[in-house]
Amino acid sequence: MSQPVIRTLDLTKWYGRNRGVEGLDLEVGPGEIVGYLGPNGAGKTTTIRLLLGLIRPTRGSAELFGLDVRRRGTEARRRVGYLPGGLRLYESLSGRELLDYFGSLRGQRDRALEARLADRLDLDLTREIRTLSHGTKQKVGLVAALGAAPDLLILDEPTTGLDPLVQLTLFELLAEVRAEGRSVFLSSHVLPEAERACDRVAFIREGRLVAVEGIAAFKARAVRQISFEFAEAVPADAFAGLPGVTAVRADGTSVTCSVAGPVDAVAKEAARHTVLSLASAEPSLEDLFLAQYREAADAA
Amino acid sequence: MLRSVFGKSVHDLWRALVAWTLFTAVWPAFYISLYPSIGAVEEMQQLLDAMPPAIRSVFVSEGLDIASPEGYLNMELFAFVLPLLLMAWAIPVAAGATAGEEERGTLDLLLALPIRRSRVLAGKAAAMVWGTAVLCAGALAGLAIGAAAVGVGLDLGKVGAGVALAGLLALAFGGLALLIGALWGRRMVAIAVPFALAVAAFLVNTLGALVDWLDPWRPASPFYHYIAGDPLSRGLDPWSAVVLACGAVAAAVLAAVAFERRDLVA
Ligand SMILES: Nc1ncnc2c1ncn2[C@@H]1O[C@H](COP(=O)(O)OP(=O)(O)OP(=O)(O)O)[C@@H](O)[C@H]1O
Ligand SMILES: [Mg+2]
Repeated sequence: MSQPVIRTLDLTKWYGRNRGVEGLDLEVGPGEIVGYLGPNGAGKTTTIRLLLGLIRPTRGSAELFGLDVRRRGTEARRRVGYLPGGLRLYESLSGRELLDYFGSLRGQRDRALEARLADRLDLDLTREIRTLSHGTKQKVGLVAALGAAPDLLILDEPTTGLDPLVQLTLFELLAEVRAEGRSVFLSSHVLPEAERACDRVAFIREGRLVAVEGIAAFKARAVRQISFEFAEAVPADAFAGLPGVTAVRADGTSVTCSVAGPVDAVAKEAARHTVLSLASAEPSLEDLFLAQYREAADAA
Repeated sequence: MLRSVFGKSVHDLWRALVAWTLFTAVWPAFYISLYPSIGAVEEMQQLLDAMPPAIRSVFVSEGLDIASPEGYLNMELFAFVLPLLLMAWAIPVAAGATAGEEERGTLDLLLALPIRRSRVLAGKAAAMVWGTAVLCAGALAGLAIGAAAVGVGLDLGKVGAGVALAGLLALAFGGLALLIGALWGRRMVAIAVPFALAVAAFLVNTLGALVDWLDPWRPASPFYHYIAGDPLSRGLDPWSAVVLACGAVAAAVLAAVAFERRDLVA
């Protein structure tokens, strides 16, 4: 495989006695979109700021394009576009002035691309930033990050403040970035968002990476709740021993099963009765975490 | 203008600089225009004569004659007011250089660009120097115009030397503000500490002239290098200029080193 775009080795950051992240081994390859998921305070922003050299690791190292971010960060950042979480811009500049400034400091500029991006996001670059709404400021930040056509985009909660339609446009733009063989590393705490946009997902919790894998595989192993309403009472035992079933609750004619992985066996068993209705809840981010923990516990 | 960190700083500062330059020019012009009203000078001379020598030396360095326009300016303007006017520009600007952006949250985006932190700091330091130079030019122009308007013959070479040294003094404390801002990222700290030290340095130099035990400490005070050589009567002492400039440069270099190593935890 070609050289990874992001690689961290035992990357660790402590803020005094507060843990930021611990022992991260993470890899992102060229041409992939990797989602970085975790609950609040998990360490997503910490990881991203380490990658950009804004904070120093307590231990371990991080490389972008094979360049150590501490020693050759300036060089590495030439190929990176960044959107911070909690974005703050120069309020007294217009969007265009901001892009002028950053373009000059970068020493490279693609005005046509910037204009195209602004157009796609329906953004007026002539307005002074202080007069823009939160979501519109976010769009300016996105154009600044994407506008230099970087080989790696690092986006910290990029959909913050964007309405659903604009979110869709953003995911389209990211898919185009991927199609050009460039990479995206984006943090989020919303699963459906990551699901829609990402090839792979890295889960982080309490500063530690709990899993990195294709989102489909992850969902396949996740526990979901399936509820049936039958015409007649069905005993819990009918489902209890089936493959994948981790818990069953029966209450007269209604049965609720927790199923890990494929639901095939459960569906076939249910089909032997008269099914009045059925409901299946998609696993939430928390469910995915729980599944991951259970696996880790089983392995131990 | 938005081509470099320096340009962006100038873009942000020029309006304030215009206002402050007018102020820094008008104040000295006003003072020098009062000079010919001999009565005022005589009153002041009487006032000074009535003072105990110890107090007197706080206002007038030895060897200066209040009856000359340069001596008058030395007391009214150069002893404290002009350095204060220049520091009131240089210190807040330097303090806000990196710490201001850090507090406003715009620093992350800037430092994520492919640009060295020391270059960011250098651009902002250059803006401080530029502004201070403009203020010095304004003060000198104010004095020259004011003196010409009321027909006072002023030795502009010597006055210029005094203004230049005052500028370097302000830059030395500005450099300190840059350093503190780079180290801690708190703008108010980076303003308060250099101002407090400037007051202390002023006192060490002036009181050191009177109090024996303080006297050996005077060369540690930037004010000593600024004014003790009497630039207004003797012209520019290159050595004083070099000492002050080295202080400013050393502070800025330390600030750059500190900023490069800084862990920017929000
Ligand atoms: N400046 C700081 N000082 C002390 N602790 C910090 C600091 N910044 C972050 N932390 C701690 O590090 C941990 C990770 O924080 P981080 O901001 O990386 O989380 P996150 O995953 O980005 O969360 P969110 O989804 O809320 O943005 C948290 O426990 C937080 O309390
Ligand atoms: Mg965060």
